[in-house]
Amino acid sequence: MTFPYKGYAGYYLDVDLTKGKVHKKEMEKEWARLYLGGSGVAARILWDRTGQKTDPLGPDNVLVVGTGPLNGSMFSPSGRMMFAAKGPLTGVWAESHVGGFLGPEIKYAGFDFVILNGRSEKPVYLYLKDGQAELRDASHLWGRETNVTTEMIREELKNPTAETAVIGPAGENGVLYGAIIVDFYRAAGRAGLGTVLGSKNVKAIVASGSLGIEAYDMEKYLEANEVEMQRVCDPIWTESLGSLRKYGTTDLVAIINEIGRLPTKNHWTGFYEDADDIGPELIAEKYRIAQEACFGCEVGCKYIIRVKEGKYATGPIGGPEYETIMAFGSNCMNNNVESVFHLGKRCDLLGLDTISCGKSISFAMDLWEHGIITAKDTDGLELTWGNAESQIALVEKIARREGFGEILAKGVRKAAEIIGGDAWKYAVHVKGLEASGQDPRAHQSIGLTYATNVRGADHLRSLSSLEELGFPGIVIDRFGKDKADAILDIMSPEHKGELVWDMEDLYALVDSAVICKYGTMWPPVYYFDTFVNVIPPLTGMKEWGDAKFVRKAAERISHLRRAYNHRLGVTRKEENLPHRLLKEPMPTGPSKGGLPDLDIMLDDYYKFRGCDRETGYPFESKLKELELDFVIEELKPKGLTR
Amino acid sequence: MKSILVIDINKCTGCRNCELACSTRHTNSFNPKRSRIQILKKEDQNMILPMVCLQCEVPLCEQACPNGAISYNEKGTLYVSSKDCIGCMNCVTACTFGGIEIDPITLKAIKCDLCLGDPACVKACDYGAISMIEAKHTGLDARRRGVDPVYQTLGIERGEVQ
Repeated sequence: MTFPYKGYAGYYLDVDLTKGKVHKKEMEKEWARLYLGGSGVAARILWDRTGQKTDPLGPDNVLVVGTGPLNGSMFSPSGRMMFAAKGPLTGVWAESHVGGFLGPEIKYAGFDFVILNGRSEKPVYLYLKDGQAELRDASHLWGRETNVTTEMIREELKNPTAETAVIGPAGENGVLYGAIIVDFYRAAGRAGLGTVLGSKNVKAIVASGSLGIEAYDMEKYLEANEVEMQRVCDPIWTESLGSLRKYGTTDLVAIINEIGRLPTKNHWTGFYEDADDIGPELIAEKYRIAQEACFGCEVGCKYIIRVKEGKYATGPIGGPEYETIMAFGSNCMNNNVESVFHLGKRCDLLGLDTISCGKSISFAMDLWEHGIITAKDTDGLELTWGNAESQIALVEKIARREGFGEILAKGVRKAAEIIGGDAWKYAVHVKGLEASGQDPRAHQSIGLTYATNVRGADHLRSLSSLEELGFPGIVIDRFGKDKADAILDIMSPEHKGELVWDMEDLYALVDSAVICKYGTMWPPVYYFDTFVNVIPPLTGMKEWGDAKFVRKAAERISHLRRAYNHRLGVTRKEENLPHRLLKEPMPTGPSKGGLPDLDIMLDDYYKFRGCDRETGYPFESKLKELELDFVIEELKPKGLTR
Repeated sequence: MKSILVIDINKCTGCRNCELACSTRHTNSFNPKRSRIQILKKEDQNMILPMVCLQCEVPLCEQACPNGAISYNEKGTLYVSSKDCIGCMNCVTACTFGGIEIDPITLKAIKCDLCLGDPACVKACDYGAISMIEAKHTGLDARRRGVDPVYQTLGIERGEVQ
């Protein structure tokens, strides 16, 4: 093996599904050196293999399964992995990350990346074990729900510790927001990557391995790792981490409602009067039975619930995250928390993204209220606010693409086009991706995050908690005293371009390492220096010990993903916000009257990003500085650089 | 006094950092399959069960070894001499607790040796679920109480420690 770096498995798998062949290849040195892993490497692969003509659900799309050097190497929290492809819901760059145990297991099975090309004639699943890979028949698994699929696979492989990523009926049926479910109740939910797997006739990716991962200098790495861990263990975070361990992400329902940013009534407002009914205290007290954690994680935000009796009784299941509670709860005005559990559970089993699914339903409820659709359109379902039974019926219909479910299965952008009239006003999305659980009318910088996020309206590429929760010391450290006041003012647009630019680059590394946002997004302790400290002793990549090199790598990843979208036609015009979040002032709650000043923030962002203000296109000089010459070669002749 | 590991599974989140720490200490690599402590899971029943050598008073593994590879180290803890182990798996069959197994790389038996009194897993557990205590009556009872939820899940009555 000539791949020189440790911390990686050292191989990737190129799968030709059409021919049913797997090709094991040595990792590319430059992928690691220039893009680290995960999102960075996936961007390079998808840049080379997909483009404008690629049909997201055709055999020509390519799905990348990615890990990074920090996965499974005792860094906390690093039980992560990612998927990327051209997105079926949005038509642009799509990536989705997930925790659990599969990511590290793929590495222990001997692979850093799996690239799925083509389309299998029959349903298959991919089994990775100790350096070998095999496509196995999945005809008997097709149509099954996700938990049963995992159990059947473990049973037939006689391997009870095999880790899985599976799709459910929704992904098979072509619902445009099909999720990939990992380890029973964790989801790479967003942007429809489960549907890309379904279009390729791939039911699951399974891994089991005992090959292990070495460090370049184990002693030094463990030392550096310990220093980073201690940053999270600082007593100032004890209380916050304690709440995360006690409530998981459900705590956000209360915290976010308090600042008036909890999407309610299809994003009409940011304050939900009945938030306590779906809030952390009630869930912890009445339903929570255990705490869980992803691989090697010291945060442990996952929790297990049980509902003992009633219509929605269930045995132990993964409890819903904040986003699920928001999407089916506050945003549909449903304060029956047991029904929200049930909806989350059904989405996990059917393989649906709870955010897009919940938001498609709240969109329909909004149209119902405004008389744009009636019982004639909805197969007789009453889509009144808070109608849990109708929500449940719709989830099943969406997964089967049946009746009105067929329209909602396309997401709000396309559904609004089909329904016509004023429906577009109620479609809360960017680039076709339904907005996640934030609101720029209560938090300026999230508006810029939504607008510039390469995969559409969601928080995970650059959300800043610095002003959301108020961390003055950290803001001064990172941006200087002069800018601190403006940055810390949650409703000031000033310097928010710089803030989001900085976060986006930081998360580019987080998503390439591949680690969790906890520790970086919140508590905001890991920064660029974290990578400077841990990557060289783990991998032996000496250049990563240079802060400038690391920063440049982060910028390179951000720019490559942006360039991928420019090539598909994305410009400043598409880096926008939906009508409701941009033009309708927040009507009620603590952030009443709020509106984002998107243009001011975008101008600032483009300046720091090294992009043209008019178009959002990158400056050639910037791309050159980042060694993205191959991007210039392609974009420049098309007039997509400045 | 002999020591044992006590695991409180009410505190265990199943994160398996103990496996990582153990493999790092013993194999200088990140390889949970080579860990001396193993976390078994049955997710749909919310069952998480850490498995590690109980440091038995009457060790069946030692008796089953045909080559005398399992013996006490200077701290009074049973360990496997990989030099003498022939990988016959007699010990694995003999142990009724799943406390000894075969290393998938070396194909020799491995079991917890308490890291010579400074167990890596204890330090690595961020939830404080693992501790090392003396193997007297109270310690043994604590060990039994630690796995109570599993007894409940499986519907087994718990007897008293003798």
